[in-house]
Amino acid sequence: MIPILRTEKLCKSFSNGAAQQHVIKNLDLEIMEGDFTVIMGASGSGKSTLLYALSGMDKPTLGKVFFGDTEISGYTNDQLAVFRRKNCGFVFQSIDLLENQSVLDNVLTGAFAVQKNSPELIKRVKELLAKVGLDEKMQKKYPNQLSGGEAQRVGIVRAVINEPKILFADEPTGSLNSAAGKDVLDIFTGVHENGQSIVMVTHDIKTALRGTRVVYLRDGKAVGEHRMAKYGGNDPKERREKLTAFLDEMGW
Amino acid sequence: MKIFRLSLFNLKRNKREAAAIVFLTLVTAFLMAVFAVSITQINSAFDRAFEETGSADYILLLQADKYRDIYRDILEEEYNINDVRESSVLYGLAASAISKKGESIAYNLIFVTESTERKIENFKKLNALSDDEIEKLSHPIWLPQYFEITGGFAPGETFTLVSGGRDYPFTIAGFYSTGLYNSDSMLKCIITDDDMVLLSAVYEEYHMIAFDTEGEFSHEEYYEKCSAKSNENVSSIVLPIDKDRERLFETNFLNVFLYMSVFLSVVTMISALFLILHKISKDIEEQMVQIGVLEALGYTSCELSLSYILEYIITGGVGAIIGGITAAAFSPVMDTLTRGMMNRDVHTDVNIPRILIVVILIIALVTLFALSRAARVKKLPPVVAFRKGIKTHHFGKNILPLEKMRHSINIRLAFKGIFNDLRSNIGMGICIIAAGVAVMFSVYTFDFFKSGYNGLMGVMGMEMSDIGIVMMSGVNGEKFCDEIRKFPEVEKVLLTRATGNYVEIKGSNQSAVAISYADFSLTDNIRLKTGRFPEYDNEIMISAKREETENRHIGDSIIIKGDVCEKSYIITGIVPAMNNNGMSVYMTEDGYRRIRPNDRPNTVEITLKDEKDRPAFTDKLTALYGASAKDAAYEQSVRGSLEERIRAKADEKMAVLISQYGVTDVDYAIRIGDTVISGNSSRFVIKEISSVKDIAKSQMGPIAAVTKTFSFWAVIFIAVVVAVILGIIAVSAVKRQRREFGIMKSMGYTSRELMIQLTLRILPVTIISSCIAAVLSVWVQRVFWMAAFGVQIPESLPLMIGTAVVLVLFCLVVTYISAGKIRKISVTELMTE
Repeated sequence: MIPILRTEKLCKSFSNGAAQQHVIKNLDLEIMEGDFTVIMGASGSGKSTLLYALSGMDKPTLGKVFFGDTEISGYTNDQLAVFRRKNCGFVFQSIDLLENQSVLDNVLTGAFAVQKNSPELIKRVKELLAKVGLDEKMQKKYPNQLSGGEAQRVGIVRAVINEPKILFADEPTGSLNSAAGKDVLDIFTGVHENGQSIVMVTHDIKTALRGTRVVYLRDGKAVGEHRMAKYGGNDPKERREKLTAFLDEMGW
Repeated sequence: MKIFRLSLFNLKRNKREAAAIVFLTLVTAFLMAVFAVSITQINSAFDRAFEETGSADYILLLQADKYRDIYRDILEEEYNINDVRESSVLYGLAASAISKKGESIAYNLIFVTESTERKIENFKKLNALSDDEIEKLSHPIWLPQYFEITGGFAPGETFTLVSGGRDYPFTIAGFYSTGLYNSDSMLKCIITDDDMVLLSAVYEEYHMIAFDTEGEFSHEEYYEKCSAKSNENVSSIVLPIDKDRERLFETNFLNVFLYMSVFLSVVTMISALFLILHKISKDIEEQMVQIGVLEALGYTSCELSLSYILEYIITGGVGAIIGGITAAAFSPVMDTLTRGMMNRDVHTDVNIPRILIVVILIIALVTLFALSRAARVKKLPPVVAFRKGIKTHHFGKNILPLEKMRHSINIRLAFKGIFNDLRSNIGMGICIIAAGVAVMFSVYTFDFFKSGYNGLMGVMGMEMSDIGIVMMSGVNGEKFCDEIRKFPEVEKVLLTRATGNYVEIKGSNQSAVAISYADFSLTDNIRLKTGRFPEYDNEIMISAKREETENRHIGDSIIIKGDVCEKSYIITGIVPAMNNNGMSVYMTEDGYRRIRPNDRPNTVEITLKDEKDRPAFTDKLTALYGASAKDAAYEQSVRGSLEERIRAKADEKMAVLISQYGVTDVDYAIRIGDTVISGNSSRFVIKEISSVKDIAKSQMGPIAAVTKTFSFWAVIFIAVVVAVILGIIAVSAVKRQRREFGIMKSMGYTSRELMIQLTLRILPVTIISSCIAAVLSVWVQRVFWMAAFGVQIPESLPLMIGTAVVLVLFCLVVTYISAGKIRKISVTELMTE
């Protein structure tokens, strides 16, 4: 597999007054194209920080981030924004929809950042929304009129509408109940089956089971890695046990 | 106390907005307090200064050769005025003098002796040389304070009068305080008896009548009575001045500036109130959850509302109090400004009660507006507040849905944003309209005065020739004009009358000065507001002020009373006119003769191709048509042969006869031995040469300069206010929509795109407001100039459009720069909050 994202000696620190907090420490990591990479670790291990550094949401303190062969860690904020719009999709835990815009407009705001308005695009957006269970009526609603699961589904459609090369998700089921969470994860699985590269941060085993590769972080370093076959195989129990064993080994 | 702490917390959180409100209320309070204190104080300061001089309230100067004792008797008999004081004075219309900078400036000067001065007033000396020093001066002159303050002269310096190419140097003995004749319109100088004799050959002699009267005194009524008894058109031979007119001359522009200041204060007040409304709305919106929590903890909605109101009572109160204190402390500066504008030492008292009223009014207004908006807290019970207010739910129509978008997403999102904050946009629109009107008004004013007094000359409503020649009586005006036209330097020659041709208008208590030309289309500076020039002898034009004040319009009939008859005229046009207090009437030469059949034009107005040729051409005219009779009368010695000296002496004698005794033709023959030297007065065509432009320059130059500076700074000031308001709105929008912008950044929208979106959101409201402001500014300008000066200054459509465009661009640039805060929004921080 070809690495789509790569870090070299990646460091990320935060300063709080005189105190420096080193969250990511000299991390070398490769994210492969087509992989569903799950980043796990204890609270404060640097999972989300890594996700934002990989996605160009944030700049590293030291080290480099490569997207393919292109180094993006030296980009300006506006260059990073252009990079994100062309290559990345995001799904957040806090389900960040634009409150003043309808469901359809929320997705179109993301779509029009990259694509021009066309009947085909509108049709595709509507189809995608319908596919995740949001019919025409729902599409006219505003975020405050949606349940958490419905809103997160809108978020996923918005994230994938531009067919990004890589999809980032930061604990996408964190604020959902188990039924809604499952629906959302099914969508992720479906997207991945279509060849979409995904990087997801989670601390939930059920969520992590959907991945093909689990990277475990501890104190800002990747201390272990666990590979799995694509989700949906014949032996889910074994899949779970192996992952649990890996996580136990990592001290989770 | 807990409420007070909540307010302080809000203040600390929004220091920038608080500072802006303090600034705006401070400026408002300052300008309003200065206005409230000064508007009456200026008049009372003038009255106090006037009283201190002990001046007569009324002075009439009547042409000496046409004065009759009956005029004085009428005052005594019909008006019961017993202390009529009389004397002889000299009057120099557009008399040239050398300014402190060495330039030739024209003034309307009155010359009196010390004894005459003491008849008029106390002769209150100010800055002066010592008595010993004055004793040694051969030609001492006492000048009114005008020359010290505006002219920049000092005691002991030379004050040179120029006439007919000859200098008359005087030494300034000192300055004195005069009740009347201390404005640009006329200035009174005190000279010795000997110098009075000397200058009597240069300037026109007038008979002065000074008096006081307890009751109302109507000049028009008095002139009518005088005319009736003397068969002389008294209104055309009199130069009146009185306390009210002097006050108007000295305080008019000061009052104009005060009204302009209060206009600015209205703009700042509107801006401050808008900012308060906007900020309370946004604060409530932003702190909705906090409000819910506090309500849940037991705070009442009244208490919470009070915390917002208190915040603005504090900020508005601090601003208003500092503004009031500044206005009080400004009193000495105001005295200096008033001294400069009125040309006399004045003192204005600090009127604390008025300042307090202004401060209280501003605080009350701020409280009222804050109260009206803070009451919204009551609509937010805890549950609603926790849900961020029911209003954040959208059950209405999706305005500008993106699926129907045809242009850039940034434009579409910006326009969608407008409807999300409609109320705020309306408020901002009102602010921009107010500021726009003030900016445009100031720009028009600046443009009008940018080339000094030229703008004012354009609305004087009288021809501004380079050279004005008053001809000797008996001279054929038409023939003389034809001769002048042949000179290569001459562009245009018009025949008219010297100013002062007063006529009465039936049904009006405002007499008029009649201005007549054979063909008005040949004039350059008499411009129509509406209608057309009079072409027939029964047609007339009136001033715009008369149209306004007397409600007379084109097509109306107007009856003009001449000396012996009255005639009806039809109004054909309206002329913007500042001269003669904006009350002139304009008729054809034939039209004028309908009421004064024997009155012939006596003035030739010459416009040169190049104004710079004026001194040389004046000398040329003098050489060809004889020196001005007055100048010739002053000739004292001529070098040359005996015959030349005899001819010079004969000319001098003839000039004295002509200029001082009204003689029209003189022939002489002198025999010396076998030689007969003869001559006549035909070479004295010119009675007097003057320049209207020079007098306009001296009268209007300083006013134009001050107004230009004032309007320039007014534009800058309003620009600052607009920048502050828009800046705060943009920053508050960024703060409020931080999350929304963060989400969009995560989707790949650049900071620049988001800044453009935010900027484009104000584009429609800015364009609409600027257009409304442009239309309103024209109306405000018309009303203001008509009320202040009875004129309408020319409107420039390109300037109006240009200013509106600049205003729109300025608003966009300020918003774009202020929206730069978007760059600081960190998506990571936002997402990990």
